[in-house]
Amino acid sequence: MNYGLTEDQQAVLSELERLIAGTAPDGHTEPEFAPYCEALDQELAQSGFLDIAREDGFGPLDAALVVECLARAPQIVEAAASALVGPALGLPVGLRPVALVEHDPLKPARFLPRAGVLLADLGDRVLQVTVDPDRVVPVDSLFAYPYGRLETLDGLETKDVADVATLRRRWRTALAAEAAGCMAGALALVVEHVKDRRAFGRPLGAFQAIQHRLAMAAETVESCKWLAFRAAWSDSEADAALAAAFAQKRIPQFAFDLHQFSGAMGLTLEFSLHLWTYRLRALSGELGGAAAQARQAALATWPEAAA
Amino acid sequence: MNDSIDRFRATARAWLEANVPAETAPRDGPEARAFTLRWQAKQAEGGWAGIAWPEDVGGRGLSVLEQIVWFEEYVRAGAPSVLSPSFVGLNHAGPTLIACGSPEQKARHLPEILRGEVLWCQGFSEPGSGSDLGSLRCRATVDGDELVVEGQKTWSSWADIGDWQELLVRSDPEARTSKALSWVIMPMDAPGITVRPIETMAGPATFSEVFYDDVRVSLDNVVGGLNNGWATAMSTLGFERGTAALALLIECVHQVDTLLADCSPRLPMLRARLAGLRAEGRSVLAMNYRFALESENAVPDASGSMIRLAFAEFAQKVSAAAVELYGIDAAQTLGERGWGYEYLHAFSETIAGGTAEIQRNIIGERVLGLPRPPR
Repeated sequence: MNYGLTEDQQAVLSELERLIAGTAPDGHTEPEFAPYCEALDQELAQSGFLDIAREDGFGPLDAALVVECLARAPQIVEAAASALVGPALGLPVGLRPVALVEHDPLKPARFLPRAGVLLADLGDRVLQVTVDPDRVVPVDSLFAYPYGRLETLDGLETKDVADVATLRRRWRTALAAEAAGCMAGALALVVEHVKDRRAFGRPLGAFQAIQHRLAMAAETVESCKWLAFRAAWSDSEADAALAAAFAQKRIPQFAFDLHQFSGAMGLTLEFSLHLWTYRLRALSGELGGAAAQARQAALATWPEAAA
Repeated sequence: MNDSIDRFRATARAWLEANVPAETAPRDGPEARAFTLRWQAKQAEGGWAGIAWPEDVGGRGLSVLEQIVWFEEYVRAGAPSVLSPSFVGLNHAGPTLIACGSPEQKARHLPEILRGEVLWCQGFSEPGSGSDLGSLRCRATVDGDELVVEGQKTWSSWADIGDWQELLVRSDPEARTSKALSWVIMPMDAPGITVRPIETMAGPATFSEVFYDDVRVSLDNVVGGLNNGWATAMSTLGFERGTAALALLIECVHQVDTLLADCSPRLPMLRARLAGLRAEGRSVLAMNYRFALESENAVPDASGSMIRLAFAEFAQKVSAAAVELYGIDAAQTLGERGWGYEYLHAFSETIAGGTAEIQRNIIGERVLGLPRPPR
């Protein structure tokens, strides 16, 4: 059992961090709800990092490392489905961004306004829809990511993919890895804030009430991260459902705790915490939310008892 | 007693059914101002303005029981949220003037508030002073018969559409806070005031920063005495009997019933969670009713902090459960009126008006009698 990064993984992450730093938003730009970072998206598309799971000697664990690292950044890009779901379903290299939707292909999906392909989980099969951006209707949402929906599939190129289990398994792993990264990014911001901000003559972070809740938040970040990496490494349905369930269950309390210690500043667009809060809330509701994931984890782990 | 309360309820219900505006209240900007003033004026015409204010200053002077009934009916009728641009005037600045204002100040301002002619905002918090209000730095210097104000306030709700501000300034740079502050009636159109709305993550720009650059205001606008602003600001705590935000709690408790009705039996975990929230909501409501009724003829005890804390966390849990129930992409969640907005807005519940940490300190020290920690 090895929890350390290989030299190759370290090199990938360090290059990824360089790309993230190089496309970081200018601190003086106007506050925005949820800006999509085209610059980072293009860098990622060219760098091949999102195809790491297809490379010899690499696999889904490396893809999850990439997804987690990217989600720590304030920049919003579609990476999780491209890195973890696309390769498993045999999507051609470069066909991205990937939007995912459950039940109904016409439901709003995150990243759809910029997507190259939509994968719809229809229960017994996956419908792969080649997306024409002109056909996507943007959907207003407060939950970051550009959301959009299709009004009809008429005239769009579609294809049935049989392997719905793979889509769901990788989707769960992807959302767990992305949530873990979002949590880590948000926590790092708030830890810096409570070191700087003073009240009653001391830094906020000197108050035990604050230390204790941030310590619990740190435990959540670590737990989510390792569960997500384990799910990517084993690529098993039970691990994937467990990692997604755990992250989704922890998100609401985690988000409230971090905002609590950012005070009113944390409610404004001038403090970037909302960029992660929005994403976390959206992720916590995917695939039916924590309860649905937990039931799936039980079913995958104890199929006879659950039946 | 019951007969008279029943009659009161019937009267309130009939008036509300006939007068509650059909349109939804705008959240910010000039539309919010116009809507709020119109609704306040209508309540004043109907004799329902300032229900908790004493009759000698133009209020309705209702008993706490009648206020409870009014708010139950208010929510039932779908009336506009009480957490509106008129909240500070009716529930904070107005009561402070009633408690500490001069006869001239009362005569000048109270009728305007009741009749829905003006809006008030609050200028207490500063970029460096939130929970630690006593550390505020916005300066005021006496110059002849005027105060000259220099500095900045923040998180001033609806300051961009307000006419007046209850402003807390440091008027003595040397003295201890309890003897250093002044509570000032600040006209928002005074030269030197700049208001900058702040966009929030939930959408509407209801907060503002306010900057004061050599702003002159008459000493006649000081309430409760120069350098006595801390006591003036604290005076309204005695007025607050736990009814100001009661309508919000009643509404939130009702919403849980709606969520339960919408929650399919195929979602047993969520149903159990909502049922737990229903119990929690009813318990907070019971605590609030008890507190309000017992406070009618006595100084309210510190257990009000329990209600404030319990409501704040309850409201957050309800909005989180609603988003989970309907889904992040559902019509009930999306948009400015959806649960998505409520969810994001609810983050402020445990921050605004005394953070959850401050409330817990008060409960620990003043309800449980625990020793004060070092601060």
